Amino acid sequence: MGQRHLLAMYSNFDEAEAVVKELRSTQIKGFDVNRDLIVKSPIEHPEVEEFLGDKPVYVQWFTLGGALMGGLLGFFLISAAQANFFAQFKGGKPIVPLPPNFVLTYEMFILGGVFITVLGFLICAGLPARRSPLYSSTVSEDQIGILVKSDESAANTLKGIFTKHNALEIQEEAGK
Amino acid sequence: MSISNLLENWSQFRHTHPVEDKPHDPYKWAMSIDLDACSGCNACSVACYAENNLPVVGKEKYANGQVMHWIRIEHYWDEDVGEEGGREFPDQGAQFLPMMCQQCEAAPCETVCPVGATNHTPDGLNSQIYNRCIGSRYCSANCPYKVRYFNWYDYPSTENIWPAEMTQQLNPDVTVRGKGVMEKCTFCVQRLAAAKVTAKSEGRIVQDGEVQTACQQACPTSAISFGNLVDPESRVHKQWRAQQVELDKDKQAKDEKEGGTELRGYRILEDMRPYPSVMYLERVRESAI
Amino acid sequence: MKDIREDIAWAKINQDVLKSLENPRKLYWVILFIALAMLGVAVGCEVYQYEVGMGVANMDNPHMWGLYIATFIFWIGMSHSGTLLSAILHLMHADWRKPIYRFAEAMTTFSLLTAGLFVAVHLGRVWQIYYALPYPNERGTWPNFQSPLLWDAMAIFTYLSSSIIFLYVGMIPDLAICRDRIHEGWRKKLYTLLSLGWEGTDRQWRNFRVTYLTVACFLIPLAVSVHSIVASDFGMSQQPGWHITSFPPYFVAGALYSGCAAIITLFIILRYVFRFEEYMTLPILKKIVRLTFAIAMVWTYLNAVEFASVWYSHDQASKDVLIQKASGTYAPFWWAMIFCGSIVPLVLAFKRFQTNIPVLFAVSLLLNLGMWLERWMIVAPTFSHGIYPWTWDHDQWPSFVQWGMVFGSFGWFTLLFMVFCKVFPSVSMYEVKEMVYHRSQQSKKQEETGKFAAAGKGAH
Repeated sequence: MGQRHLLAMYSNFDEAEAVVKELRSTQIKGFDVNRDLIVKSPIEHPEVEEFLGDKPVYVQWFTLGGALMGGLLGFFLISAAQANFFAQFKGGKPIVPLPPNFVLTYEMFILGGVFITVLGFLICAGLPARRSPLYSSTVSEDQIGILVKSDESAANTLKGIFTKHNALEIQEEAGK
Repeated sequence: MSISNLLENWSQFRHTHPVEDKPHDPYKWAMSIDLDACSGCNACSVACYAENNLPVVGKEKYANGQVMHWIRIEHYWDEDVGEEGGREFPDQGAQFLPMMCQQCEAAPCETVCPVGATNHTPDGLNSQIYNRCIGSRYCSANCPYKVRYFNWYDYPSTENIWPAEMTQQLNPDVTVRGKGVMEKCTFCVQRLAAAKVTAKSEGRIVQDGEVQTACQQACPTSAISFGNLVDPESRVHKQWRAQQVELDKDKQAKDEKEGGTELRGYRILEDMRPYPSVMYLERVRESAI
Repeated sequence: MKDIREDIAWAKINQDVLKSLENPRKLYWVILFIALAMLGVAVGCEVYQYEVGMGVANMDNPHMWGLYIATFIFWIGMSHSGTLLSAILHLMHADWRKPIYRFAEAMTTFSLLTAGLFVAVHLGRVWQIYYALPYPNERGTWPNFQSPLLWDAMAIFTYLSSSIIFLYVGMIPDLAICRDRIHEGWRKKLYTLLSLGWEGTDRQWRNFRVTYLTVACFLIPLAVSVHSIVASDFGMSQQPGWHITSFPPYFVAGALYSGCAAIITLFIILRYVFRFEEYMTLPILKKIVRLTFAIAMVWTYLNAVEFASVWYSHDQASKDVLIQKASGTYAPFWWAMIFCGSIVPLVLAFKRFQTNIPVLFAVSLLLNLGMWLERWMIVAPTFSHGIYPWTWDHDQWPSFVQWGMVFGSFGWFTLLFMVFCKVFPSVSMYEVKEMVYHRSQQSKKQEETGKFAAAGKGAH
């Protein structure tokens, strides 16, 4: 059976929330609310996360890994470089002096943390992304979009729900 | 491999300096300068210019403070002129102090160089690698004695620094420095290197008096003595010991004695803990002139 | 008065901000032209210095460092308030920062770039600058990791790359707006590329929020460490006037201070040039002004701590340097620093000046002049009156090459900053929408509870 994408636009979060709630409570054949539903909003809106249900974020694990890796790499790279360079004294200090290495380790800790966090963000958020099949530039202005993917058969039910909650506009496209 | 090297030799890499548990061997170059003998004639400075290819910068740059003298004669005057019982002319109380790189054992300049262009050599010199220097001038900023000199201009290509025929008198054993690098007294490292090579090929260490620095050689009053501090037979070693000046102390035991001491040996800015390798002998005469 | 009107339509926000990418006032082009001309002066000076040698800057022994290092610290310091606005105030949920943090962050990035250039022009052999980078090579040589200058290089690299990333990540939703709204052309292509296909989906926002928060958490200790390390350049040395324990907090306070003053200056300029009166409102300006005043007082206190600790330290050399500063060659500049840094900000304590634009513009420039003088007064007097009396020299004066480079750096910074503001949205559109949204929700709630209260009263 063919697939169909639908995008409905709403003018405020309350309507969008009502739609999502209804979609979650209704059993529709050929439509899985956890997989096929995407909410697009112009601002970061914590309530969206609440009404979509708990979806985990893994970015912080990248942060942890990156920061530790950066710190360890920093310390060992620097100490090993000092030990392998002409092992000559400088200013009577030890060849592997700890206070300066701590400073640099600290910087590398942050550097690793920041870089890998952003890498994690790109991976977790799926960026750079292909543009989704349906998009309305009003999302970047002031409207909230609800994008669903479903079997052909479910399309009309979904459209019914969308219009019931005052959708400003509904776009549809036959998916692959 | 680097990390295994790091872990295996950890204690060696954590060794600080200068300490008694691991003294210099077989060389530690040091100097002692008798201020009582110094007459402020500047021959040492001139000899240094000739030996180490120092550029003569000319009046204008000299006035600008851009002079390159690795060893300088500092003049000091007593300031009791005009006071009751004081001197009639300031020059009567003149003193001279030849000042060059003190080759500190824990040199403030070494730690701060971002590229590691200045290091401590095994024979106790504070070395300067011209090729590595990027000219951040941090070493000079942190030098308490301000004895590091920077090539503000490209002297070899500047007119009248070394006119064509004079390039023949440049010392072939010493590089000519281009613009933008730091330089300073090396204790005539080219002579030390040659002497060490000769000695090594004969299977011995350098004898006292075998090698002289240019300034020492030129000094008409033999105020400067130079040699291997480790060698108990050397003049420098004997002088340091006679004056009870120890290399790795930031406060000499003799100075702790109540009522002071008759001994003349001291090191400049010792309490800042650079552990300088040059000992000065205090002047005894009332005036150098 | 409210920080921002709550009834601005979101579409209007887009429109107003995007207009800044299209047609600024004529003053914009005048500023750009002046900046370019100033940069030309610096380029000329650098070419001359590169060809002839550092001597033309009129440095000597003992004046090894001069205006370059002083101005380097100045620009590094300038960068700190961007982080203050975008990271610290973000964690504190101070949402009034939202319309102004984008340009503050751009200021961070560009002032760091300017500071980096000062390291380069300061070097005697700038063509060998890569020796200071820890890159593996066939000779097995590494930079000296003990040197505070190397920590500097590392810290600045970390800070610069992190703040560019932070600026960019925070801008992705806005770039998507630009992509959707702007007419065809090279900029549309640029925004399409940079917005990475952002569509504001729930997954994107969710990860975005965590990322932004995490990076903000990293940036705060980073910013503090960067200026502490710059302070270590001085504090770790043995020179009188530099070897002071209170230097790191003193430097950080000074950095925030000059940064906030610069934010006031740029706020006023941007507000006029790009017609941002709706977003960069006077109540917000008032908040920054108060913040600046508070930091000014912290700086004044730390300054007093420094003098006191030197004065009672029994370190004659340090004391002499302090006396020299107050009474020697540098005295006019030192007292000007005290005046601009500690006396002038008292103006900001008066309510009627807190929103007076001409007064604030003049004051913010004076504050920054004071902060620049502060850096100069840290660097120069120590060289002129060091530990070793024979090298005392109070008469060396920086040549026109040094002054030209300092002058030109302001042009370089302004140029980068102004070009940025014309190419990228300098007010964060999505965050202003958030601010407007949350505030309107709040007032709605208040109205409702007010109604309830009223109804309850009636029923009683």
